[in-house]
Amino acid sequence: MSNVISAQNLTLAYDNGRKEIIQNASFNIRKGDFVFITGPSGSGKSTLLKALYGQLRPKSGDLVVGGVDLTRVRPKKLQELRTHLGIIFQDYKLINEWTVAKNVVLPLMIAGYSLDVQQTQAHRLLKHVKLSEHADKYPLELSGGEQQRVGVARALSKNPVVILADEPTGNLDDYSSNVIWDLMENACQQLETTVLVVTHKIPTIFSLPYRHFIIESKGVYEVH
Amino acid sequence: MKFIKNHLMFILPLMAILLGIEFYLVFDRTTDSYEKKLKEGYTMLVVTKKPVTLSQLKALNGHIASLQPIKRAPIVSEVAKGVGAESKKEILAALPYFYNVGLDSYLDTQVLDRIKQDLTKEHTIKRVETFGSSYSSAYRLFSLIKFLLKVFIGFMGIVSLLLIIKQMEIWKYAHKERMQVMEIFGAPLMLRSGVLFKIAIIDAFIATLLTSGVFFYVKYIWAPKSGIDLMVQKQDALFRTADMGVLIGAALLLVIIAVYAVVVSSKGVRE
Repeated sequence: MSNVISAQNLTLAYDNGRKEIIQNASFNIRKGDFVFITGPSGSGKSTLLKALYGQLRPKSGDLVVGGVDLTRVRPKKLQELRTHLGIIFQDYKLINEWTVAKNVVLPLMIAGYSLDVQQTQAHRLLKHVKLSEHADKYPLELSGGEQQRVGVARALSKNPVVILADEPTGNLDDYSSNVIWDLMENACQQLETTVLVVTHKIPTIFSLPYRHFIIESKGVYEVH
Repeated sequence: MKFIKNHLMFILPLMAILLGIEFYLVFDRTTDSYEKKLKEGYTMLVVTKKPVTLSQLKALNGHIASLQPIKRAPIVSEVAKGVGAESKKEILAALPYFYNVGLDSYLDTQVLDRIKQDLTKEHTIKRVETFGSSYSSAYRLFSLIKFLLKVFIGFMGIVSLLLIIKQMEIWKYAHKERMQVMEIFGAPLMLRSGVLFKIAIIDAFIATLLTSGVFFYVKYIWAPKSGIDLMVQKQDALFRTADMGVLIGAALLLVIIAVYAVVVSSKGVRE
């Protein structure tokens, strides 16, 4: 199977390259892979994720996501790549002045889909994440678990090539966490979406085969 | 309430700038002819023993551009009331010749003094009156008022611009998160900042309409009742339809620059 993400001798750093977080990491992630990336706090898990959606330019090495070389990508191309990614954040990053339905279809809005398509998709996705009755509410009217389900629905709305999730269950209770894991498992299984999750802890109940990378001492190692 | 306050905080400084621009346009138009009159209406008085011609005076000083004789008979009738016709003839014969002398441009008092010196060198010229002090003070006062007005408008413009920037920072804070989320999902600049542009453009139209309203009021209601000659005579110059074009153009330019500055500065920096 083809690689959706490919990193070769990747070094990531802050402070204009002075503070290296990840050094010479090499890994490949294939279409349909479910990947967990774990590691202690401050090890560089979120930094790696930032690099994967183009928020942090690699210091050196190669990083290719969805066929786009992120080491020398132009803003326009990066913008285009991001429309094919589904990103989930620990703090949800929902737009609080928009309704739940409007938040869900943000990627469709960006892609220029008609209002009819947006409405149909919003309805379908909210049903999928069991939030149909909350379509016209605002994010702050929902619980943390519900907000994260809106985040997942948004990430799935345009059938992304890759879902990148940064501690998606970090702020949630066990029940809500399980709902989120189920949704991501389904996306991976049914749509063959590549899912890459940065987390402190791999869920104990997880039915899919998965790959596990650990970030330690500035290196990225596959352990499972 | 917060929504209205947010808009007013942007509309009011914008209006201050537009009022400044329009006030300057109106002031320039209404005082234009006055300024011309001050410059062109000035003449000096020359008194001679014998009649002189323009070319004779031009030969003495190159700034002299026109010569207008003042009729002597009315002067005699004025100063010799109740005097017999014979005596009047004698007075007329003894009376010198008076001329209004025009200059080629607006000159300062030092040049006026030099012209006076040049003319008085000619023995037929008895006296030259430049009215230098009143000429100069009137024009200087006018120039000073105009300069102070420009300074005031400029100062008001700077203060208003600072207020707009301040308001922009509030907007930036209020919309930053939304714009950054949209950027992460690949929204182009115009889409993620569309709301800001929409609000700012609406505010620019509102500010233009309010400013135009103020000047419409001044032109059609206040000026005719003001009793100020200049306002009544120059009522047409107080506000013109074309001014709305200037105002909306200036307002749009200002808000687009302001919003663009906000949008660019809230762009998620690629670390």
